[in-house]
Amino acid sequence: MHVMVFGMATKEADAEPLPIDMKAKAAEFEAMGKFIEELTKAGIMVMGEGLKPSRFGKLVQLDGSKRTVTDGPFTESKELVAGFMIWEVQSMDEAIEWVKRYPNPTKGPSTVVLRPALGPEDFNFGGEIPPEEKAQWEKMSGRDK
Amino acid sequence: MRVMVIVKATKDSENEPIPLDMAANADMFEAMGKFNEELVKAGIMLAGDGLKPSRVGKRIHFNGTKRTVTDGPFSETKELVAGFWIWQVRSMDEAMEWAKRCPNPMPGPSDLEIRPLWETEDFGPAIAAQENELRAKIPPKLGQ
Repeated sequence: MHVMVFGMATKEADAEPLPIDMKAKAAEFEAMGKFIEELTKAGIMVMGEGLKPSRFGKLVQLDGSKRTVTDGPFTESKELVAGFMIWEVQSMDEAIEWVKRYPNPTKGPSTVVLRPALGPEDFNFGGEIPPEEKAQWEKMSGRDK
Repeated sequence: MRVMVIVKATKDSENEPIPLDMAANADMFEAMGKFNEELVKAGIMLAGDGLKPSRVGKRIHFNGTKRTVTDGPFSETKELVAGFWIWQVRSMDEAMEWAKRCPNPMPGPSDLEIRPLWETEDFGPAIAAQENELRAKIPPKLGQ
């Protein structure tokens, strides 16, 4: 199963200057680099990315055919994402075992959220999954690559 | 540049049964399927996935060496993620053009958050080389 692992933003992470000061962040980057190398060796790592602070982001609200665009930052938000990984694991328990070894990416307290991704078995077609639906899902989620 | 397009959860998406009732959602899935196909044809689409409702998720709080695990569901529904894409675009403006053509993924009002990704040039050449080396080791077959 695929699990999405969200590193939630802290106030400091969302205020990060660009480009990132690598000297100040050396210890965090080294620990995370080692952890990602372990994940890769174990065949767990599918992908991972970091998001720029929310001041570079946009919000689109969809309501019927109306679309409203708002510029970042999203300072009111308690639940901003700072980065994510996708892991291939056997179970949520396996994901929890790995996440306990996840280095704290910030100097203060922080939170990581684990969410299983929908698989083809999670779509009820009232019978067998139509092959074209499965193929489209694999294409969309990058599993055909 | 690459952007992450986050589909925000709604009460409906959080209450979705597993497995999903495809008959009830047929119109949305058809519209979204067409939109995804356009993204793929235009070379915009890099990855995308849907997340199951937060009741099957977990949250880990880090504080020093302490790790505290909490089971879902998570109550801040408006801030939860229901799904995402990674798009390859030339600018935020191009990303916004595509985002505006996205069919509404929910039966009621919903939100998309578009966030540019950190690129290796944001970290300087030494880290860029290290990063590229690490990425080359990740097998290209996603989830197989």
